[in-house]
Amino acid sequence: MKRFSDQELLDLLNSLESDRVERKESFKGEVPKKARQAVCAFANDLPNHNAPGILFIGAKDNGEPSGLEVTDQLLLSLADMKTDGNILPLPVLSVEKRLLKGSAMAVVTVMPSDMPPVKYEGRIWIRTGPRRSIANEQEERILNEKRRYKNLPFDLHPIPSAAVTDLSKLIFESEFLPSAFAADVLESNGRSYGERLSSCKMIVSPDTTTPTVLGLLTLGKSPQDFLPGACIQFLRIDGTDLADPVLDAETMGGAFVEMLRRAEEKLKSHNRIGVDATSGPTHRTDMPYPPAAMQQILYNAVLHRTYENTHAPVRVYWFNDRIEITSPGGPYGNVTSENFGRPGITDYRNPNIGDVLKTFGFIQAFGRGIAIARREMEKNGNPPPEFETSPSAVMCTLRRKA
Amino acid sequence: MTAPVLTFFNNKGGVGKTSLIYHLAWMFARLGRGVVVLDLDPQANLTAAFLDEDHIEALWNAEGAGSTIYQCVSPLAGVADIAPPLLQPMAENLHLLPGDIRLSGFEEALSKEWPDSMGDSNLYRPMRILSAFWQVMQMAGDQVQAEILLADIGPNLGAINRSVLLATDYVAIPLGADLFSLQGLSNLGPTLRSWKNLWQKRLNNWEESPEKRHYPDFRLPSGKMQPIGYLCQQHGVLLERPVKAYDKWVQRIPAVYREAVLNEAPVQNLRQEDDPFCLATIRHYRSLVPMAQERRKPIFNLTSADGAIGSHAHAVSDARRDFRILAEKIAEKTGLAPAPKPWHP
Repeated sequence: MKRFSDQELLDLLNSLESDRVERKESFKGEVPKKARQAVCAFANDLPNHNAPGILFIGAKDNGEPSGLEVTDQLLLSLADMKTDGNILPLPVLSVEKRLLKGSAMAVVTVMPSDMPPVKYEGRIWIRTGPRRSIANEQEERILNEKRRYKNLPFDLHPIPSAAVTDLSKLIFESEFLPSAFAADVLESNGRSYGERLSSCKMIVSPDTTTPTVLGLLTLGKSPQDFLPGACIQFLRIDGTDLADPVLDAETMGGAFVEMLRRAEEKLKSHNRIGVDATSGPTHRTDMPYPPAAMQQILYNAVLHRTYENTHAPVRVYWFNDRIEITSPGGPYGNVTSENFGRPGITDYRNPNIGDVLKTFGFIQAFGRGIAIARREMEKNGNPPPEFETSPSAVMCTLRRKA
Repeated sequence: MTAPVLTFFNNKGGVGKTSLIYHLAWMFARLGRGVVVLDLDPQANLTAAFLDEDHIEALWNAEGAGSTIYQCVSPLAGVADIAPPLLQPMAENLHLLPGDIRLSGFEEALSKEWPDSMGDSNLYRPMRILSAFWQVMQMAGDQVQAEILLADIGPNLGAINRSVLLATDYVAIPLGADLFSLQGLSNLGPTLRSWKNLWQKRLNNWEESPEKRHYPDFRLPSGKMQPIGYLCQQHGVLLERPVKAYDKWVQRIPAVYREAVLNEAPVQNLRQEDDPFCLATIRHYRSLVPMAQERRKPIFNLTSADGAIGSHAHAVSDARRDFRILAEKIAEKTGLAPAPKPWHP
């Protein structure tokens, strides 16, 4: 992540014609929307600058300061552009307060994405000269091409033994596309099935139709034929340790929607609601575990796990006193054993899987799962969730309430 | 600049009115248009569609604040003035003024002031009470710079509904395909016209009263109540007989609408589906309805994670298209400025 010096920022601020710069006087009204479009366009980097784009908040169109007060609140709402899940895959950007021309400005630095096309609310924004527009078919093709020569995360790696026929066209067209793209974008374009799959990163390119890991996990008819560990193993153990008898066992496979929905149903059926009708004048219901917490930990396990070099499933072991959810692969990137679970510390081993889970509606916003789980556990009267990390796995323990 | 108030009204209940407003509000918000939803039905079903019971309970117990429509207008029954509404933000561009069971208690005050407002002295107070809903609506609209205000009312011709309709610019009439809806339609039209005339008389009376010059800032609604059309609720069709019965009633609507609501000669041989006053036929979305209610979402915002997969996913896309077309039609009929294109040309 590049940090510009004051002089470099001043040069960009003054270069009125540059397509790497956008200036906004404040962050009100339509600006939050336009700023997001700009972030999306900078991340796509269609002109191939291979350099960050800069968004100045607190500068007039002529580059002079507008005298905006740069508050903590403003910086927070700017940082929100990264994690509210409207720009996908998640952009790499930094937000800082800088003193330029004697005035405070908020400076948003957006790195070009290795995984274009990046979309904002289902539309692919690009820079053409000093303004923003929606990518047409040809421009979308160029963005797809750019992706092929980068060092990509594992979720975009091709699986050579799979063929495009291993993907479900039906699910792609009826469920995925309408949620991933705005209706008018889908209506107005004449892209082929291959181009659409490629634009969504499900296959390598329209000419090399080999499915990617993402494609198989999202649309695969039987993804576990190629990625045997990409499933969720559920065990209900009658006791408190692994040697105790097993009451129920099931391995949930299939693509994401099927796998996650089946897993959730399983959790729901075991989370038996107790009804106390005798101790008070009205009956009271009681749940051993808050559903939202189980859901968040499960989604996290599927999103952040490694799918590379392992045949281990996500494990959900339900004991009489606790649930242990184990996700293969240790902490990743910015996240380490030391800072694990601290608010604000997040990183993405599988950014494109994050994109898909958001598109299907499993994720509402990014970086908040653990916080939600903590809050729900507390509300329901459970002890706080415990995390244990090792280089090869992350385990979360949810304890039953006393 | 005031935002137009659109009220959905039929004195026959159970025609899918509340669900219609709920979905339309979400669609307007989705299309980037600022909308405020006002629940003026004391049964508060619309509020229950938006908020869960714990939340509603907290609002109803918040004494004296403007958290519900009742709390906004009730100070008028005493000596105080209208309390400014506290809107509940539901989504970007979408705000709700919750309803309140206690609103039925305001019916009496409104009935009492109706004759008093035709007297020759002390007109300010009756006029203030009769136009209270309008005042609250305008405050709500100004607060969030809404483009349109959507009001839901109960199925009757009582004083609360009269007062809401006086505050209304446009009226849309949801209908079921049955005798009761059609009968409702034929006495609704004359009632609207009569209220419009009676309100005009009161406006004139106020204009001429010596009291008027003491209240230079006091504005009143014009009571436009312009009908913009009707919506038909499709029946869950299973066997041939209900289809025939449905068709029998539905094809009488265009003629009755013209005669009763527009006071025109009834047309002959105009089929409901060809009628320009038919804003939409609302489809029956079957199992999507409980799925959406459980998630407190409109049908067209359901995702695969909610269980909208396979044929459900198609139905979700269809619902999204149908409601978008309806919202655009209503925007045009209520004189909203054209929506900004989602991208630069």
